[in-house]
Amino acid sequence: MKPRTLLSWMLRESRGALGRFTFFVACLAVGVAAVVAIAGLAAGLDSGIRSEARQLLAADLAIESRRALPEGFDLLSLLPAGARTAAVREMVTVVAALPQNGKPGRSQLVEMKAVEPGYPFYGKLAVLPARPLAALLAPDAAVVAPELIGALGLRHSPHDRALDFRIGTADFHVAGLVSSEPDRVGIGTAFGPRVFLSMAGLERAGLIAKGSRVSYKTLIALPAGVSADRLEKIADQLRAALPANEAYRVETFRQAQPQLRESFAQVGRFLGLVALLSLFVGGIGVAQSVRAWLAGRLDAIAILKCLGLRPREVLALYLGQTALLGLIGSLIGILLGVAIQAAIPHLFGDLIPAALIRPWQPGVLLRGLGLGVGVALLFSLPPLAGLLRVPPSRVLRRDAEPLPVHRTTAGFAFLALAAGLLALTFAQTDSLLLSAQFVGALTLATAILAVAATLLAKSIGRLPRFSSIALRHGLGALARPGAATVGAIVALGLGVVTVLTMSLVERRISHELSRELPSNAPSAFLVDIQPAQWPGVRALLTRSRAEKIDSVPVVMARIASINGRPVDQIAGARRKRQDPNGRDDRNDRSEGREERGRRWALTREQRLTYLQKLPADNVVVAGKLWSDPDHGEVSLEKSFAEDLGVGLGSKLGFDVQGVPLELVVTSLRTVDWSTFGINFYLVVEPGILEQAPQQRVATARLAYGSEQHVQDLLAASYPNVTFLRIREILSKILGVLQRIGLGVRFLGGFTVLSGIAILAGAISAGSVRRGREVALLKTLGMTRRQVATAFAVEYALIGGVAGLLGAATGAALSWGVVTRGFELTWEPEPARLVLAIALTIVLSVIAGLAASLRALERRPIEVLRAE
Amino acid sequence: MTSTPRIEIRRLFRRLPSGGRDLTILDGIDLSIAAGEFVAVLGPSGSGKSTLLALMAGLDRPTSGEILLDGRAIQALSEDSLARLRRAELGFVFQSFQLLGNLTARENVLLPLELLNSPEAGARADQLLAEVGLSDRGHHYPTQLSGGEQQRVALARAFATRPPILLADEPTGNLDGSTGRKILEILLDLRERHGTTMVLVTHDPAVAALADRRIHLRDGRIEREERSDRSETLAALAALSSAAPAEESAA
Repeated sequence: MKPRTLLSWMLRESRGALGRFTFFVACLAVGVAAVVAIAGLAAGLDSGIRSEARQLLAADLAIESRRALPEGFDLLSLLPAGARTAAVREMVTVVAALPQNGKPGRSQLVEMKAVEPGYPFYGKLAVLPARPLAALLAPDAAVVAPELIGALGLRHSPHDRALDFRIGTADFHVAGLVSSEPDRVGIGTAFGPRVFLSMAGLERAGLIAKGSRVSYKTLIALPAGVSADRLEKIADQLRAALPANEAYRVETFRQAQPQLRESFAQVGRFLGLVALLSLFVGGIGVAQSVRAWLAGRLDAIAILKCLGLRPREVLALYLGQTALLGLIGSLIGILLGVAIQAAIPHLFGDLIPAALIRPWQPGVLLRGLGLGVGVALLFSLPPLAGLLRVPPSRVLRRDAEPLPVHRTTAGFAFLALAAGLLALTFAQTDSLLLSAQFVGALTLATAILAVAATLLAKSIGRLPRFSSIALRHGLGALARPGAATVGAIVALGLGVVTVLTMSLVERRISHELSRELPSNAPSAFLVDIQPAQWPGVRALLTRSRAEKIDSVPVVMARIASINGRPVDQIAGARRKRQDPNGRDDRNDRSEGREERGRRWALTREQRLTYLQKLPADNVVVAGKLWSDPDHGEVSLEKSFAEDLGVGLGSKLGFDVQGVPLELVVTSLRTVDWSTFGINFYLVVEPGILEQAPQQRVATARLAYGSEQHVQDLLAASYPNVTFLRIREILSKILGVLQRIGLGVRFLGGFTVLSGIAILAGAISAGSVRRGREVALLKTLGMTRRQVATAFAVEYALIGGVAGLLGAATGAALSWGVVTRGFELTWEPEPARLVLAIALTIVLSVIAGLAASLRALERRPIEVLRAE
Repeated sequence: MTSTPRIEIRRLFRRLPSGGRDLTILDGIDLSIAAGEFVAVLGPSGSGKSTLLALMAGLDRPTSGEILLDGRAIQALSEDSLARLRRAELGFVFQSFQLLGNLTARENVLLPLELLNSPEAGARADQLLAEVGLSDRGHHYPTQLSGGEQQRVALARAFATRPPILLADEPTGNLDGSTGRKILEILLDLRERHGTTMVLVTHDPAVAALADRRIHLRDGRIEREERSDRSETLAALAALSSAAPAEESAA
């Protein structure tokens, strides 16, 4: 048969089936819309970051570290003539309004950034008055975010036009307001408002002491016309010239914010899977529509075969038809997905800036099309396989039913379905393991729901007869063989599982984060306390009626070697194994999270403390604390030791701010981090680090509402001490979590929508039978209201069963995630479960009655005459 | 007749499993039909008429025995070969018309022509619709046509590819007497003009009287055979045409 003939036949085949295909198309479009919306947002963010990469770095390349560039490091000699550099220092600190009438002024945690002239080399800094930052930043001037003015309660007064406030030990005046900066982006929220200073200003504030938490950055702008290759070469030269450890990181704008993109990509991958789930649930609807459609086409298929159409041509005809419908559904879904993206900045303006929304990306649209058509074809395969077995002799004998599908054919169809789903998931996630887990879990959940639904339908058939005719009829309809309700129940159930699991998990974690802190937990952290300041700070806390005051010394150090082998070598070898080209691309997905965790453990700046006795939330699980009189000892947290790849007896070499030190691991501990106590991965035996440069951290429990006052007092007397409120930090984490949760529930809603479309489709597919049923019931004297009630009972039962099964599965799943994944206790939320079931019932009754309207409207005589 | 029979059936058996034992539908049929011959198959319900027709068309497979079309055994052919055979060699007319409901009358007639990639399919379909008197109804769907009109479309479809063999299963069974007679007239006329070999299943003796030969089936066996002579056929035709009123009523 010629392709043109096939196409014209396909078009003819679609006639008169529009109503039925509506559900096919709807099921697919909903899922494709979800996939396209998420993929579009993720790709938009990624390409946005890439195209703005220079602005986001504010430079061509940057050297980042936790310490200043090495003494005598001649940066300019490594750069081409005409290159410019600007140093940037960032730290979190507390600033305060000036004292008034002897009372300390109001204080506020801020993110401070001291910059040299030139910053930013690229991108726009929105500053008022609109003058270069360097021109505004006199040594006694600061440019601040507008909200700081309110937070400190600064006011213009007749004598004091300058809006003075205090940073560290010096006073500054507000010389300008900053509303946006090019190189400040991220999913997380900031600790506090921005404060810009000049380097001289930072010096004046006197905040930089040894051990302060400052991040150092040197921005470099190359002269115009430097090629990309040259840029990479310069970066490599810098890497080679800097001390060979990972304390210094050289990043070029061409790498385009690998960490930022990776964290967006991770969220995108997770949400992409939720979107894919709604597409797969839509696939169940597709399979159901195709099955119902083919059931009505058996005669036509027999005629076609009788007229000489070969079985494979029949299959091609209907497969082509399915592909065509899949194409239509996908195109509609794509349009919906684009519309959703366009609507997102209006709905959640603060979540994703409109500038990063690029809904018309060919790659994303094509992926939506591919996934949509793929799902349509895959899910139609099992019902279409039955086509091969329609006997043509049905033209002579109406009772010639399709022969059962060959076991091998059926097996092949389902195998193809499973393999196809795996391939589609892989296309979405790029991870075979994740795809296998996802498809496996989905298959398991589907199987559980299907078995439970089938058993329930069967056992309902055995129930004693009810006296209510509506109830009896509804129950009977559910138990009727071939009632196509199992598919609807499974689909709807999967939707309930998705939404409910996410909402239960999110609620549990939110609850954990937002509840009152445990009564024995501290409510504030104090960091960067100079040892000499501690007695004074402690006295201040005591006077403020703080309880549970605790403090330990902190010594910053880096691990230099493990069992005599330099750590640079170990880290280098690990990286080489991951990336033979030696590229520094953190976005490389082949590098697992675990491996990155290990490398981070090796190369980061470590905080050490020394203690005679461990806090109560530490438990030694291997070895014995301070048991070796011959060596300096260190105790490691167990999972940290695993990341480092060391155990009892391993020798760790440290670089304590230039001084080498070797310690032996003599004990491993577990730590209960949820107590919010001060805890360390590395605890050193007393008597070794006492003379090293150090600071103290402290914790205290403050009476509710007294935190601001204590912060004000501290800022006035000890301006270098940073005061962190645990409650505030937790609520920031909570904010991020809730945003992701919102996305998941939004997408989960699509799954429920697919389930509803499937239910409506199943009902509408049986509308002929239903019309006959209504006519018969009406002829027998039932009123329309009674018939509607009987139907409502049936749909309510479907919704009820789906809701019940979904809720049970969802509860079990959330239990697993909460107790295993987050190691929290699980709390049953019966009200939520009941609400979920009730909503499913209401939705399915509404959808069901809406789909049966036509059948309900029919007059008995119309139907009986047509018999 | 010395040339190869158009249809030859040898020792044909068809058994179906039914309630745990085999039910014999056809019980050793031998039959030879010459090219251009018109054979009527008669018999009560369940005698195996339709099964015989289905086997000749390759729509069903025999339990044993041979079916030869132009000397070529078809019982062992693959589904695909059977499909190709049907599209080129066989035409069908059914009691229940078997038109595709989602295709117009003209598209139904076009269908077998398109399958053969016939170059002038459109013209041929229009010509056939004219021959059955439906030139102005080609764009109508089957549900918009009366039973008689639907069967006329089916006739046009059956002759569209000029098949050498036509198999008809109670073509007038669902029609009232006068409409049925009209349909038979068209059928016979088309057959005459195309020189088609025809096997017609019926239980109406008046219809069977038109055939060259009548095969009576009972319990899956040929009970007896009768040959009509020329005068008998002419008398039957005369009886048919005198009884045929001009019109049929549209539903």
